[in-house]
Amino acid sequence: MSMGVLIALFFTGLRYWLADASITMNWWKWLILSAWFLFLAITVAAAFTLMGEGEWTAGKRFLLFFGIVLLLAGSGIWKLLKKV
Amino acid sequence: MHRRDFLKFTGLASGTLVLGGAAAAGYMSGADKTGNTGWGRAPYAKDQFFNRKPFFVTTPTYEKVGTPQRIQYLDNLFRRNGELGMHIRSLGEGGLESVKGEGISSLPQELKAYYTEHPSAFEEFFLTRESAKQQRERWPEHRNQYLLAEAWSKAHASPLKGREAYPPQPQGPPEEWDFEGVNPDPLKLKSPQHGSELIKKITHTFGATLVGVTAIKEEWVYQGILRGVGKTNFAKPAHWKNAIVFAIPHEWESFYANPTYGTSYEAYTMLRFIAGKLETFIREIGFSSRSHVPPNSYDLIIPPLAIDAGLGEQGRHGVVITPELGANTRLAAVSTDMPLEPDKPVDLGIMKFCNKCKICAEECPSGAISFDDKPTKVVRGYRRWCTDQDKCFKAWNQVATSSARGCRVCLAVCPYSRKNNWIHTFARELDPRDPTGFTASTMLAMQKQFFDYPGGSQYLPPPDGNNKTYGKAPDWLRTEEWFDF
Ligand code: SF4
Ligand code: SF4
Repeated sequence: MSMGVLIALFFTGLRYWLADASITMNWWKWLILSAWFLFLAITVAAAFTLMGEGEWTAGKRFLLFFGIVLLLAGSGIWKLLKKV
Repeated sequence: MHRRDFLKFTGLASGTLVLGGAAAAGYMSGADKTGNTGWGRAPYAKDQFFNRKPFFVTTPTYEKVGTPQRIQYLDNLFRRNGELGMHIRSLGEGGLESVKGEGISSLPQELKAYYTEHPSAFEEFFLTRESAKQQRERWPEHRNQYLLAEAWSKAHASPLKGREAYPPQPQGPPEEWDFEGVNPDPLKLKSPQHGSELIKKITHTFGATLVGVTAIKEEWVYQGILRGVGKTNFAKPAHWKNAIVFAIPHEWESFYANPTYGTSYEAYTMLRFIAGKLETFIREIGFSSRSHVPPNSYDLIIPPLAIDAGLGEQGRHGVVITPELGANTRLAAVSTDMPLEPDKPVDLGIMKFCNKCKICAEECPSGAISFDDKPTKVVRGYRRWCTDQDKCFKAWNQVATSSARGCRVCLAVCPYSRKNNWIHTFARELDPRDPTGFTASTMLAMQKQFFDYPGGSQYLPPPDGNNKTYGKAPDWLRTEEWFDF
């Protein structure tokens, strides 16, 4: 339940951040942004699962690789949100 | 602070906490030992089993290319080495040197025939003898480091010793032995379906992780030797109708620390207890039964029976891979005339995955596993992956253990041999459902790029290697954690 509250607070805060950045949001923009955040959370969880299993190197490489992919995707999404 | 700013920063903090929570939950899931068992959180609960139904096929994934033939007992490494060893001992002192010098032509007829066809196996026998000698000589150097692993292995091997080993070895022909103590007034079984369901439930209560049922094909019966009878050519006994095949995993933490910290005996003895109890149970309800158990008390070859029974598919390393346990799958069986409904074989794409993977071949310290892109060897009418048993056994005699008690590196490094947690469950559910092969390719790329593998010879002792293990040994097997030396 606490996770649900945190997610709700996160998206509430995000609304204001986006508004202050003069980004107008619609349903598909929210969908893209939510999907990106979901992938980020899954990537973090997966990397730490591997670390918990004792596969530290695999966990770190996983985080690094998908972290960079998500960062690049994130900057692309940010540009898209601002542009459209 | 403005209300707006407060909400913005609370949002930011919450987002960070969500990611932190994901990391913590992930770490706990990875470290959680409940994913380490091979059994569900509750006995025989749903989370213990992969749903095979969508993957049932009519014919197993091994490829029949000719007329199937029964396996001759000398095709089994341990029986072959035992036979040659007996011949050497019968020659008295200097027997080893004389057989080595005189070569294959000096051997008794059956051995001569086998080794004439497989001359490299004859050479490997002597190389292995030499390795075994060096292994024994080197053991004092390693003894302290592996004190706990050795003690743990010996503890597990202790129930296997001598004539008292359980279940008892057959004494007499199957037509007598398999019926000993059978209930003379059995009740009528409602149906073969009831039979299968009951037997599976009972076998789970005896400790099996996976249980499958199949009809016994003639070609899965050994030829040339029959336990309880001796050397003989025999037809498959009429009452060997069905096989109940069951599997358990090795203890996971020691399993990842192969070759030096793991042991095969731990799973072997558990399988023997399950088999012996099942044998008794079946006789008590009125049917014949006979155990086929490791390390070498078999009249049936178990891996193809397990494939027929839908437990899994054969991997490149020759071992059956199951979706639940990967290659950490140890097998035994009980043959019976009890009417049982057979299970269907499955196609989970494992054989196809092996065509590309090759990790076990890269990691095998003896070079016993094929690097071919597809199975090429035809053995007794089937095209299949084939490991070089003699090379493999030589590695058993090289690693830093007191004697040849196995290697199992190929099983530990196999990407299918992973714990029962969300990330691996996700992969094993998604991969067989993806007809494009994209999931398999992605997983394989990640496996090869992200995971560290010591590499072939590194598992051997110096000077060839560095006594590496695939995973780190658990603290309870690391002598240095508990003793000064
Ligand atoms: S047990 Fe070891 S030596 Fe034998 S095939 Fe597997 S990895 Fe190779
Ligand atoms: S390690 Fe790879 S190639 Fe070898 S059996 Fe496992 S999946 Fe197949």
